[in-house]
Amino acid sequence: MAAGLVSKWSRVGCSLLAGHCNSFSGLLSASHELGFNNFLSQQQRTFIQMRTVLKVVDNSGAKKVMCIQALKGKKGARLGDTIVASVKEAHPNGKVKKGKVVYGVVVRAAMQRGRCDGSEVKFDDNAVVLVDKQGQPIGTRVFGPVPHELRKKKHIKILTLAKHVA
Amino acid sequence: MRIEKCWFCSSTIYTGHGIQFVRNDAKIFRFCRSKCHKNFKMKRNPRKVKWTKAYRRLHGKDMTQDSTFEFERKRNRPERYDRNLTENTLKAIKTIDKVRSRREAKHIERRKKGKKAQEMREAVKELEQSISLVKAPSVLKEDPSLTLPKIKVKVSQEQVENQPMEE
Repeated sequence: MAAGLVSKWSRVGCSLLAGHCNSFSGLLSASHELGFNNFLSQQQRTFIQMRTVLKVVDNSGAKKVMCIQALKGKKGARLGDTIVASVKEAHPNGKVKKGKVVYGVVVRAAMQRGRCDGSEVKFDDNAVVLVDKQGQPIGTRVFGPVPHELRKKKHIKILTLAKHVA
Repeated sequence: MRIEKCWFCSSTIYTGHGIQFVRNDAKIFRFCRSKCHKNFKMKRNPRKVKWTKAYRRLHGKDMTQDSTFEFERKRNRPERYDRNLTENTLKAIKTIDKVRSRREAKHIERRKKGKKAQEMREAVKELEQSISLVKAPSVLKEDPSLTLPKIKVKVSQEQVENQPMEE
């Protein structure tokens, strides 16, 4: 599992992972990198905007999508928002194919989002669940934790499919 | 609304403070302030960082086992609101807190006082047993009871005896 994750992360050559010193990646990176990362580990996480590559965490067939447009927000999408994305990588026999333009709901974002009780949540990576224009998920399963900010955004179906609600 | 504990330093996190980090394996880490969060990102082990409660408990600096800790256990069952119960609980929290802090202070005091009596006893025992390593030559001189008695041999009597034998 660790080897698979390493290859995935090396493929995702986005700037968010540069100098990344998180508990997850630290397990995979070499130990000599760690000393260098200590200074650069205070990374500013920002919005999900055009050209952001996100992981797909449902079984719709796609593996990686690239954001084309954040549907709400001038600076970009955050946790719980919908985006328009283009499928960059897909499983060979899935419902969506490479190159298709899809809608997605951001279920995990590395940028912290304020909760109504004043605390902030942040996740380990940027992940998206593909939906159709009406907001219903294309896939039938969702992997990993999802935030309960989705309840307010009326994505109840995704919440019910998820195994863990953060 | 719930008062949590910081994952790194074990201090209480009140509402509106701190950051919650959710890892992909759905484990949630709560931090009280950015100091703890940054230490976590540096992958420091709280059991090795001196100012955390985890270190202090591990190294015996703070009290680990006490009956007052039982009152603070996390309970996942919601209680039906009862005004009397709430009032009594609030009063109890105050007294329990006082008792616990008193006991913790005593624990630290006892630790700081040192083990003078025990050290004295150990020193006396060591003095008894291992004094031979230090005092052997002088003891032989001062205490004749410990040495073997000296035998004096007269040499002149032997010479007189030998002469008639040779002749």
